[in-house]
Amino acid sequence: MKLIKSIIRPNKVDDVKEALDNLGVSGLTVTEVRGHGKQKGHTAIYRGKEYSVSLLPKMQIEVVVSDAIADDVVRTVVQSARTGEIGDGRVFVLPIDNTYRIRTGEKDPL
Amino acid sequence: MHDIFRTRSSRTISRTVWLVLLICITFSFGGALAAQQADPAGIATGDKTNAVDAGGNAFVVAEPTDKADPDYAAKKKAFDEYQAQAAKEPLAVKLADSVGHVRIATNFGWTLNTGYLVLFMQAGFALLTCGLVRKKNAAHLMMLNFAAYVFAFLAYYVCGYAFQFGAVAINAAPAGLGGTPTLNHFLIGSGQWGFLGGKGFFLSGPGYDAGSNVLTLFEVVFMETAGYIIVGSICERINFWGFLLCEVFVGALLYPIFGCWVWGGGWMSQLGATMNLGHGYVDFAGSSVVHAVGGFCAMALAIVLGPRLGKYGPDGKPRAFPAHNIVFVVTGTFILLFGWMGFNPGSTLAATDLRIGVIAINTNLAAVAGAATSIVLWYFMFGKPDISMGCNGMLAGLVAITAPCAFVGPNAAVIIGIIAGAIVCFGVLFNERVLKVDDPCGAVSVHGYCGWFGAVALGIFADGTYGAGWNGIGPASYLGKAGQGVTGLLHGDTSQFLTQLGGATLCAIYAFAFTFVVFKVVNAVRPLRVSKEAEIEGLDLPEFGMLAYPESGDEVSAAV
Repeated sequence: MKLIKSIIRPNKVDDVKEALDNLGVSGLTVTEVRGHGKQKGHTAIYRGKEYSVSLLPKMQIEVVVSDAIADDVVRTVVQSARTGEIGDGRVFVLPIDNTYRIRTGEKDPL
Repeated sequence: MHDIFRTRSSRTISRTVWLVLLICITFSFGGALAAQQADPAGIATGDKTNAVDAGGNAFVVAEPTDKADPDYAAKKKAFDEYQAQAAKEPLAVKLADSVGHVRIATNFGWTLNTGYLVLFMQAGFALLTCGLVRKKNAAHLMMLNFAAYVFAFLAYYVCGYAFQFGAVAINAAPAGLGGTPTLNHFLIGSGQWGFLGGKGFFLSGPGYDAGSNVLTLFEVVFMETAGYIIVGSICERINFWGFLLCEVFVGALLYPIFGCWVWGGGWMSQLGATMNLGHGYVDFAGSSVVHAVGGFCAMALAIVLGPRLGKYGPDGKPRAFPAHNIVFVVTGTFILLFGWMGFNPGSTLAATDLRIGVIAINTNLAAVAGAATSIVLWYFMFGKPDISMGCNGMLAGLVAITAPCAFVGPNAAVIIGIIAGAIVCFGVLFNERVLKVDDPCGAVSVHGYCGWFGAVALGIFADGTYGAGWNGIGPASYLGKAGQGVTGLLHGDTSQFLTQLGGATLCAIYAFAFTFVVFKVVNAVRPLRVSKEAEIEGLDLPEFGMLAYPESGDEVSAAV
């Protein structure tokens, strides 16, 4: 099993979610996050004083999927979250040992 | 932590407060024994003597008493004719009683309702100032705004109103409200040299009067405006007890004293009669009396407190603390604009004064001209228009038109708005970069500088179409013209301009120096500023134990 963690633009959440639905991914977790990549944010101006906004708002989507479809999921996220501009985000793939459903105690209920 | 009731100095303070209360009660009951009877039910207020035509001519002709008056014979003749007519037509006299009563009732309704509009401005100030600060201090800002209304109101009730209007009937009786004849004693000074009113403490005795209470409601919300202005400069670093002291100071002393000089029939308003200076010092709705007093008081407090931590870098350059909610800022500004429709037109204290139409449109014109100027100016200077400066510009226009709104035409109102919009931009930069006064919401620039300018602008642009007989000057004719009102430099009255220039400057110095001296001493006895740790953490938790946005992730609660 793999945990696929995608940091994407906030306005791309719906596109990614819809694409994952079409792929049959059943559950996901979305978190508001802040961060920066290589560009280290941008400059803003308030009442004539410039200041840097180094941590930009992003959304993080986490899904846990079987090894078999992991590559498809990554490809789908990349395709649906891409604009081609700087700041599109990152996808991380992590191995995980087990998952449990809290209601039943059932193991690996994917 | 800052429990005022547990310290020795506070026990001394409370003893002093009780002593002052006792003195005030004595004065108020002394006043109750005066010849003029108060009219709490409003039944005796408004009769045939209040029936006046559009030109201000009374229905009732008063019997002339001064036989040395050169016009005595003519006046006596008019009086005799009136008496003869009245004897022939008793029904007309009865009708005039009704007309007079309805006239006063209309003015009560107008003054109260415009007062309620001004009251609503407090909500505007709360949103504006809260939006302009950082999220970590949002609850603190709301508490300051709330407590300002509450405590300053009580201070004004105890003695502020009496100090300001306790002698209003002597030189500046509000005819539209029935004249409030019971408020007729100066505590300090007398005649045309009054310095402090002396009746109406606790609104009892002479202050327990329907007409007087209409005036109280309208004027207390004006005082509150001055009280709110200071919040914009001292926020994000003042502690709560220090703030309460500031509000009581404004409501009981700072505001009422200057208010008495200009609006309570005090010495500044009478300079036309005593020193031959135009119509005396004129401020229609309070550019100086309300806004410059608040603005320069705010400046003194900001200096005493010092800048917020981190406002200036090690190189001395100012840093940005961005507004946390622009939605609040813009909403608050529009509420203020709406409230100002009570502030300026309501200051006629009479719906029967039809100049209210001109005043309303002048007020709006100056507001939009000020906003447009600051938006465009900022666009040129920094490459991007700044909405918070646009809001400051709108308020700057409003503050500046407040004094001259009744005396100028629409074109002058636009020019005044444009100049104010520029003043506020340069004022903000000047305070921040040159004086290094940390003023989070731009209150000093908006209310102080533009308030001063507004009072001076009256002396420049007043066109003489309104205000004949203002402060008792030239009721028949002025500058050789019948019906000529308050006139500025551009229309031929240099003395009015000089009076305005001197008066507005005196106002700035008075408010700044009085506040600075008092709070420099207070600050030396007990610091007005919160601890460094509290300021870094945000004042919400250390001062009040709560956050404005507890579920925003700033603090994870385990109490659910």
